[in-house]
Amino acid sequence: MLFACLVFVVGCGRGETQEGDTGGPARLTYWSAPNPQERALAEELVARWNAVHPEVQVTVQALPAGQSSEEVLLAAIVAGTTPDLCSNIWPGILSDFVRSGGVLPLDAFPDFDSLMQARVPADLLESFRAADGHFYQIPWKTNPIMMLYNLGIFRDAGVAGPPRTYSEYLEAGEKITADVDGDGQRDRWMGYRDIRPIWWQRYFDYYPFYIAASSGQTLFDDGAVAIDTAASTIVLGFFRAVYARHYFPITTFQGNPMVAGKIATEFTGPWSLAWLEENAPPGFEYDYAPLPVPDDFTGPVYTYGDYKNIAIFSNTRHPEAAWAFARYLVSEEADLLLLEKARQIPVREGLLTDSTFAAFFAANPKMRPFAEQAPRTRGVDGVSSLQEVLDALAQQFEAAAVYGVTEPDKATARAIDRIRVINEWSH
Amino acid sequence: MPAELANTETEQLEAYRAGVRAAATRAPDAGRGAGAGRRGVKLNTGYVLVAPYLVHLLIFFGYPLLFSLVLLFHRWDVVTPMEFVGLKNFVRLFQDDLFFRAILNTGLFLAIHIPLQILVALFFAELLNMRLKGRGLFRTIYFLPVVVSGVVVTILFQQLFSFDTGYINNVLTALGGERVPWLVSPVWAMPSIALMATWKNVGLYVILFLAGLQNIPEAMYEVADLEGANLWEKWWLVTLPMLNPMVVTVVVLSTIGGFSLFIEPYVLTGGGPLNSTLSGLLYIYNQAFSFNHMGYAATLGLFFALVIFVVVLLQRRFVETDFY
Amino acid sequence: MKKTVAYSALVLGLVVFAYPFVWMVMASLKPELEIGDLALLPSRWTVENYTLVFESIPLGRAFLNSVLVVAAVTASVLVFGSMAGYALAKLRWRGREAVFNLILFTMMVPFLVMLIPLYTLIVRFGWTDSLLGLIIPFMMSATAVLILRQSFLAIPQDILDAARIDGCGEGRILFTIVWPLSIPALVTAGIITFVGNWNEVLWPLVVIRQEAWMTMPQMVTLFAVGGGANARLGPQLAAALLLALPVVVAYLFFQRHFISSLASTGLKG
Repeated sequence: MLFACLVFVVGCGRGETQEGDTGGPARLTYWSAPNPQERALAEELVARWNAVHPEVQVTVQALPAGQSSEEVLLAAIVAGTTPDLCSNIWPGILSDFVRSGGVLPLDAFPDFDSLMQARVPADLLESFRAADGHFYQIPWKTNPIMMLYNLGIFRDAGVAGPPRTYSEYLEAGEKITADVDGDGQRDRWMGYRDIRPIWWQRYFDYYPFYIAASSGQTLFDDGAVAIDTAASTIVLGFFRAVYARHYFPITTFQGNPMVAGKIATEFTGPWSLAWLEENAPPGFEYDYAPLPVPDDFTGPVYTYGDYKNIAIFSNTRHPEAAWAFARYLVSEEADLLLLEKARQIPVREGLLTDSTFAAFFAANPKMRPFAEQAPRTRGVDGVSSLQEVLDALAQQFEAAAVYGVTEPDKATARAIDRIRVINEWSH
Repeated sequence: MPAELANTETEQLEAYRAGVRAAATRAPDAGRGAGAGRRGVKLNTGYVLVAPYLVHLLIFFGYPLLFSLVLLFHRWDVVTPMEFVGLKNFVRLFQDDLFFRAILNTGLFLAIHIPLQILVALFFAELLNMRLKGRGLFRTIYFLPVVVSGVVVTILFQQLFSFDTGYINNVLTALGGERVPWLVSPVWAMPSIALMATWKNVGLYVILFLAGLQNIPEAMYEVADLEGANLWEKWWLVTLPMLNPMVVTVVVLSTIGGFSLFIEPYVLTGGGPLNSTLSGLLYIYNQAFSFNHMGYAATLGLFFALVIFVVVLLQRRFVETDFY
Repeated sequence: MKKTVAYSALVLGLVVFAYPFVWMVMASLKPELEIGDLALLPSRWTVENYTLVFESIPLGRAFLNSVLVVAAVTASVLVFGSMAGYALAKLRWRGREAVFNLILFTMMVPFLVMLIPLYTLIVRFGWTDSLLGLIIPFMMSATAVLILRQSFLAIPQDILDAARIDGCGEGRILFTIVWPLSIPALVTAGIITFVGNWNEVLWPLVVIRQEAWMTMPQMVTLFAVGGGANARLGPQLAAALLLALPVVVAYLFFQRHFISSLASTGLKG
């Protein structure tokens, strides 16, 4: 019985979604992200591709909404129902896919190197190399986490410009956090974070701030825990101050507090721009700035970039066709559509200097900060227990920062201990 | 009409409880006194009729049960093959503070939820038992949250409990009170969830208690009257002892229900603040489906089931008092 | 006097249990920004929350999935449950007590223990992202067997014996003689299965990943948790109401049966 179980786990069945090679065009299934903007983008891209490639016809399906894409993809690999390719691959999960043999090594395609050289800086590409030395993903887009701020509130409270350091941020917080309508309850805050200890929520506070404070370090080095203790402690200390002084409310907002004018700053990605343009009330003025850094910090400000990459699954029947379509997804035409339709930043060198994109950035000046920030982003480590690691950090963030019951240095130490244990468990 | 209705309910309840009791005593002779199978019924008809059930049971109960026993000794992340780890999962379980925290949280939930539920349910059951006009309507409404999905109730209370914009806090501040940090304070969060669960389930227990009350023979109260008992004494000496079996049912049912607390913290708090609403099932779900520790999650699941079993046994021992 | 107090308390209870639902209905018909307001009535009635739900998620499809699953499960639970219950109540065969105890034992093992292995089994059968994965594991219910067996026990043996003399097979006896005599028990078992299955979230969350096969409670949960509504409250409430609607309508029509059925087993089977 045990043996039978192993067989079903390892031997992924063939996807039933494909047709046999009985002449006719190669048919590919392509999974895109589920949000409406990216759905529209994917449909447009596929329509354009299908029109000129009768021999390779692509069908687009959105990943199921709501649940995390990672869960869905992992389940699809286990069940053998993967699509041919997917452009919503989070690098943190790819190591699991690689270990399961679910994805194809892309450097086997002869033009992989030239494509990458033209697109990605060498050191960034290197961070996507799998443990076995191969590449299984094309870096597609990155969404740098930056500080969105409400200009109206800043002006109203007499804050000159976006705060650059922790001290400036706290000073601004003192001026902005207030009881505006005079009912004895604070009703305007410096910012707000979802305080639920959900691991991925930390991509919008602890993790990007940690990357910024450590000048671009991630949590692991060659599979071993390598947390910059000083950076982690100072970040936790900063958020602890923010919460202790009530600049962030400990609450769960319903609806979007930014457009409701309840908060002055938010740490978010470029997708917020598309959303704001659609949903912000008239007269809502806002802009983006790099994340605040420790007071004595010098040098360029890094941040977390939410990379979404393209991978081809091993049970495709048409690897060459899938590769050709993947190349199309990172062509200039497609990258421009990505900017225009989804307001997300393609991973491409010289985005701001390339004439193809000049018109876009001229018409959308608010996208510029993101394009400028994009080269200085770090993703996540490709370790298999990453979600649990982030969960451990989320627990300590909650204790040290939100509720202030653990000292920041102790919280960092505890997180590191816990992550070591997690690592031992997983190997 | 309502009285007749209540009778059918009572009968059914009685029949059911008799069934459970019979089951509990290993059903010494089902089909008793009926002379089942006397007249040449083919012996194997019984097998034919239960066969589908048994085959299904073998596949969807037997196999998973065995497989969960196998998983106890393995590490398995679904993606890669299983790996035998001996007793490591158990060692890990006993070092896992968070899991024990989750069990304690569930205990706290039960400690608030069960007494509250019993008090509220008894209160309304007594009122309904006064046979006032319109009680059918009251009963219908009290029972409404029971049939509605937990998801609906959770989404509803997410809005009602919201700290800044929630309806309850808006009413409180309008009345000149303070906002209550329902779901965002480690002290309040679990009681808030218990409150919500009570709101959702109490209608069921109102009905159970009502059936129990209607089952108490009028004669017993008459005897108490003759002996000069006052209202309180009657309640304490007649009503409560007579209701005891029903109280046991309620305690056991809400314990089992309470241990499966999942969707409420999953949607409302994610287990926070400071792990105060991390329920056992939520923790196991996370281990299995967020972190892919299938073997470990199976171990936790088995241990958790054991805890439930022991708690229910203890409850039966302490709550089920023999009055007669 | 006593009556007045009792009525006040009962009405208070009515408000406590009914008002949240009333508020929910009203809030779902309000413009977004008014939802937190104290006033129950909106300044402007709107169905935009509902249109947004239907634009964002294929709730109609989910409804159909849920109906199919619930219908298949309930029918199968009743048919197979009756067969087993009849064999246990009215037929004598070797091993009957053992089987009965086995069924009781399955009731004592929490679903939680089975969750992960059962999921792997579903994966193995290839029933993830398929309604089969939601139906087949739940085609039998020990609770239903127990309820039906209990009811069958009360049926006089003479009726069955007479039928046998007339040459009826056991199957025919069960479905043409025993069933009409056991309608209350069938209704009870049916309602318990229906409500429990309709409201189930955890299992679909585990088994179904593709939108096309999601059940209604699952889709609504993910819609609310995953912020599919762009974090807007109105659509979340609207989706929740749509989920509640079928059960509430069924409840209002058959409320006596619902109350007595659910009360007879506690919450779920």
